[in-house]
Amino acid sequence: MIRAAVAVAAALLILFIVAPLVALCIHVTPDRIVHAVTTPMGRDALRLSLLTTACSLALTLALGTPLAYILARSSFAGRTVLDAIVDLPIVVPPAVAGLALLFAFGRFGVAGPLLDALHLRIAFTTTAVVLAQLFVGAPFYVRAARAGFISVPRTLEEASQTLGMGPLRTFARVTVPLALPALAGGAMLAWARALGEFGATIMFAGNLQGVSQTLPLTVYLGLQSGDLELSASLAVVLVAIALAVAGGVRVLERRAS
Amino acid sequence: MTVFAAASLREAFEAAGPAFTTASGFPVRFDFGGSDMLATQILQGAPVDVFASANTAQMQRVVSMVGAAKTLAHNHLVVIAPAGDTVVASIADLGKHGTKVVLAAATVPVGAYARTAFGALERDPAYGNGFAARVAANVVSEETDVKAVVTKVALGEADAGVVYATDVSPALAPKLRVLRFPAGAGPDAIYPIAVVSAAPNAAGAAAFVGFITSPAGLAYLKARGFEE
Repeated sequence: MIRAAVAVAAALLILFIVAPLVALCIHVTPDRIVHAVTTPMGRDALRLSLLTTACSLALTLALGTPLAYILARSSFAGRTVLDAIVDLPIVVPPAVAGLALLFAFGRFGVAGPLLDALHLRIAFTTTAVVLAQLFVGAPFYVRAARAGFISVPRTLEEASQTLGMGPLRTFARVTVPLALPALAGGAMLAWARALGEFGATIMFAGNLQGVSQTLPLTVYLGLQSGDLELSASLAVVLVAIALAVAGGVRVLERRAS
Repeated sequence: MTVFAAASLREAFEAAGPAFTTASGFPVRFDFGGSDMLATQILQGAPVDVFASANTAQMQRVVSMVGAAKTLAHNHLVVIAPAGDTVVASIADLGKHGTKVVLAAATVPVGAYARTAFGALERDPAYGNGFAARVAANVVSEETDVKAVVTKVALGEADAGVVYATDVSPALAPKLRVLRFPAGAGPDAIYPIAVVSAAPNAAGAAAFVGFITSPAGLAYLKARGFEE
């Protein structure tokens, strides 16, 4: 009896997750998707999404890897606070992130005078899109990378160093390869979150075709203007990507364990 | 009962709401947004009683799902610029290279009106042929409703935007400079209102349209700068 109830509850939730996505997918045909991604609006959105997420991922890896390593290997006062700070963008609603970025990097924001002096205007540019993606995506990578680095036994790093490898080579030849599945899984999640970023982007970067109108914004604006075909077709593209990422993360997790 | 209304009607409708409820006994809930988004939601079967659009094009999209539309009010366009900013001194400066202009998307009524207005200005030699295209090239963002345009300009992120005269509320006035279109260039913005045919609260819907188009209701719109 209880087992049946558990099974029903589980099945209900799975159905609830799958049904809307299936409903979305049966709304469009493959040739409609091809048509959507070849219209100027769809093509620009796809290109902009790929370009901006590549940039935000590169920044995430470059800045997130050292941070994750410090969080994994060092113990210092306030590390727990740092851990919590890294988690903040995951917990904070995207709209709050957008407002915060505007108040920080906007023309009259905290960094406004400095940016003005450097003749930099960030709002309404592709840079703003990348910053919004970095803000919301990076924590997913840092969390995963930190866990990956912790799982690498310190004794292996120490052995490598006693054998004459410097700290940087030890990191590149020993630590990173051992933590690679975790790093790759985290990078995938961070990239996917950046690809889906909507709220902070529309508030901070605005909405202009080819400059700040990413795939999620195009899905929303297609709905707003009544072009449901465009919305649904691009939405299916995003679902397909999400499916690939979710599958990829599972494969990497299995390899890590 | 629920009223879908163009974002520009927010202040007037929110002020009129309690008076309507007192007079009719119907509690009312407002949902404000770009008229194009609201029309899409009605087409998707949103349970709504009344639709007030900021242009006839968006009312036309839902024509098969609403009763006869009445004209609620008129409004006109203005160009706004941040109070402390000197980039835009006249409307002609919107076509100057490098001016950052924010408009609503072309499907949002105020975005459609703005594009019409820039086209009309081309007949004036002071602006000249190609003015609309020069402004279009300066657009840095297409916002989803008129209030988002107001906010971006009030924050100083953009050098100018096109909104309704009624959007420059007393609270925002100190942050904004207002530039008027030359006579004849600014299109007449017409607000149609209609009862949704499948209204969950048909009696309340009819009562609201009756109230807001009566002298008592219109007073709330006029107080905020709308014209009859």
